[in-house]
Amino acid sequence: MSFDVVLRSILSAAFVGSVIRVATPILLPALGGLISELAGVTNVALEGLMLIAALVGVVISAFTGNAWLGCLIGVACSAVVAILLAYFHLNLKADIILSGLAINIASSGGTIFILYLLTKDKGSSSKLASLSLPRIAIPVLDGMPVLGPMLSRHNVLTYVAVLLVFLIWVFLYRTRLGIHIRAVGENAEAAGSVGINVRRTRYIALMLSGVMAGLGGINMSMGYLNMFQRDMTAGRGFIALAAVHLGNRRPLGVALASLFFGFADALSNQLGSLAIPPQWVQMIPYAATVLALVVYALQGRAAAVERARRLQERLQAHVEATGGE
Amino acid sequence: MKERRKQGWFEFARAVGTILAALLLGFIITLFVSKEPIAAYRAFLLGPLTRTNRFGNWIEESITLTLVGLAICLVFRARQFSLAAEGQLYLGALVSGLVGLYFQMPALLHVSLAVIAAALVGFLWGLIPGLLKAYLDANEIVSTLMLNAIAIRIYNLILTYRLKPPEAGYTVSRYFHPTALLPRIVPETRITTAIFWAIAAVFVVYFLMYRTPFGYALRMTGANIRFAYYGGINTKRVIYLTMAISGIFAALAGAHLSMGIHQRVILNVSMGLGFEGIVVSLLARNNPLLIPVTALFYGYLRAGADIMERSSDVTRELVMVIQAVIILLVTAEGFLAFLQRQMRIRRGAELAEGKEAGDVI
Repeated sequence: MSFDVVLRSILSAAFVGSVIRVATPILLPALGGLISELAGVTNVALEGLMLIAALVGVVISAFTGNAWLGCLIGVACSAVVAILLAYFHLNLKADIILSGLAINIASSGGTIFILYLLTKDKGSSSKLASLSLPRIAIPVLDGMPVLGPMLSRHNVLTYVAVLLVFLIWVFLYRTRLGIHIRAVGENAEAAGSVGINVRRTRYIALMLSGVMAGLGGINMSMGYLNMFQRDMTAGRGFIALAAVHLGNRRPLGVALASLFFGFADALSNQLGSLAIPPQWVQMIPYAATVLALVVYALQGRAAAVERARRLQERLQAHVEATGGE
Repeated sequence: MKERRKQGWFEFARAVGTILAALLLGFIITLFVSKEPIAAYRAFLLGPLTRTNRFGNWIEESITLTLVGLAICLVFRARQFSLAAEGQLYLGALVSGLVGLYFQMPALLHVSLAVIAAALVGFLWGLIPGLLKAYLDANEIVSTLMLNAIAIRIYNLILTYRLKPPEAGYTVSRYFHPTALLPRIVPETRITTAIFWAIAAVFVVYFLMYRTPFGYALRMTGANIRFAYYGGINTKRVIYLTMAISGIFAALAGAHLSMGIHQRVILNVSMGLGFEGIVVSLLARNNPLLIPVTALFYGYLRAGADIMERSSDVTRELVMVIQAVIILLVTAEGFLAFLQRQMRIRRGAELAEGKEAGDVI
């Protein structure tokens, strides 16, 4: 009987709405992670960058009374720290993974430290009268029976995220800078030899990933919740990194992977009425990501074998045509 | 030879300089935020020595950090960015707990069985990302982060649904059978015989790394994987075995936490200890013999931060900022190169004056 209840709630429009809501703070940093990953720099600091923006957004909005200003400054802070990370990696030759982890540690501790300074509370910013970004009712959709609850009245950043999936696709595949970013990630030496400024390109990629992670953090504290809580990102920055790989490093794939993570998350919340422990469902996307790593690796290998075989054939044909010269 | 010794001293001076710079930064922050900055920082820097139980906390912490640090040291030395220690630690704590709760046998045997079970699980949990990396070139950062998340879910699942007695108010298991507890060797503290494992583990890792063919292969793989491969080293085997062996030490840290410190399975047994091991290993420049030293240092900082939080208006998170600064300064090789260049320029000037004509690089 209770299984029935869960099934019905999953098939409801409200559930789809909650999947989208939960997927947003994964999708935004994942898009950032995608850009830096394609530039050949793995940004493991997404988690910390999100926390920084989440806290700064809340604090600025509480002190200025302007949510958008909070969003702007929060994202800017995240971008500045991403540039700092780029400086350590690209100029001071620090390892990108280790310095990224350092940024995470500093952000986790630093945000709690500052939160305590401002509110004398280490848990959350509930004492600050912070603001949230608005939810948007889509004019026509809003009134519709099924599509309305699914797609309308989400936080404005959810729509921004959807828009960004397409903008980033255009950016990466149709603009000069985007193509440079992918070239640098594919083969930095080759890209450098044709005159692409590798360092500058990577700086830009890391900065953009900081902007995206910042938007994700703002979404956490000024949309998903209406306050900052210590370590509120709870691993979403790392999940975002996984979504990049699960999505096979393509914008649309990353979006689908984020939705998948969102689905599992929303589903595990629904399972309270069933005897199934939520941990089982929570494990699924992580296991799927490991599986995806395997599948993509095998695909990549099959493609390489295929290329080698074709080259062999062509050589064979060439040898036969020239009579073994 | 002289050059090498000079290099060693330079490394040492650099580590000390890094630590001092990070502590100074911590002090500057304290000055800004605290009403009594001197008292707060004194509590931070001297606190762990003021009472037996505080001293105990420091040593307990250092045992865990030594074991995790050794786990990280192994994989980093082979240049594998495996972050699996966190998950392995959880599974080690869980499995040793299962043995402690469900088996009954004489003390020595019980502890040994629990430890071996934990080590085995750590090994296997490291083998998975190791094989994926070695044979499929699957990104070990992503795979280990995923496996950590899975390990923590398994831990919570079994703890919540199997180990937690129905009458317990919060999510913990029963205390283990006394035969499965590590004997405490210093009164008023939770310092247990695990301190001997930690010391033994340091020498085991050192011996493995510097006195065995496998260790040579490991170091060669870390130095230059292509060179190692063309030199006839089975680099695939090195990769998966290193990641698996590293898991043993992380799992031992978990066993120490559940059998020695908490004496039962608790929720959130590690809040990022796997990542803290990275600082310990980096500060030791991935040298196993230095890891207990840096673990003691870092354990001291953490114990001090706890005391500072309790006795002043500065929160313990200050130590995380200090930790991050240490990582950034230690890994910034460009920074090192800059310092060395300065030294070389100075030496060049001395050479030009004909003072020293011995060793030029």
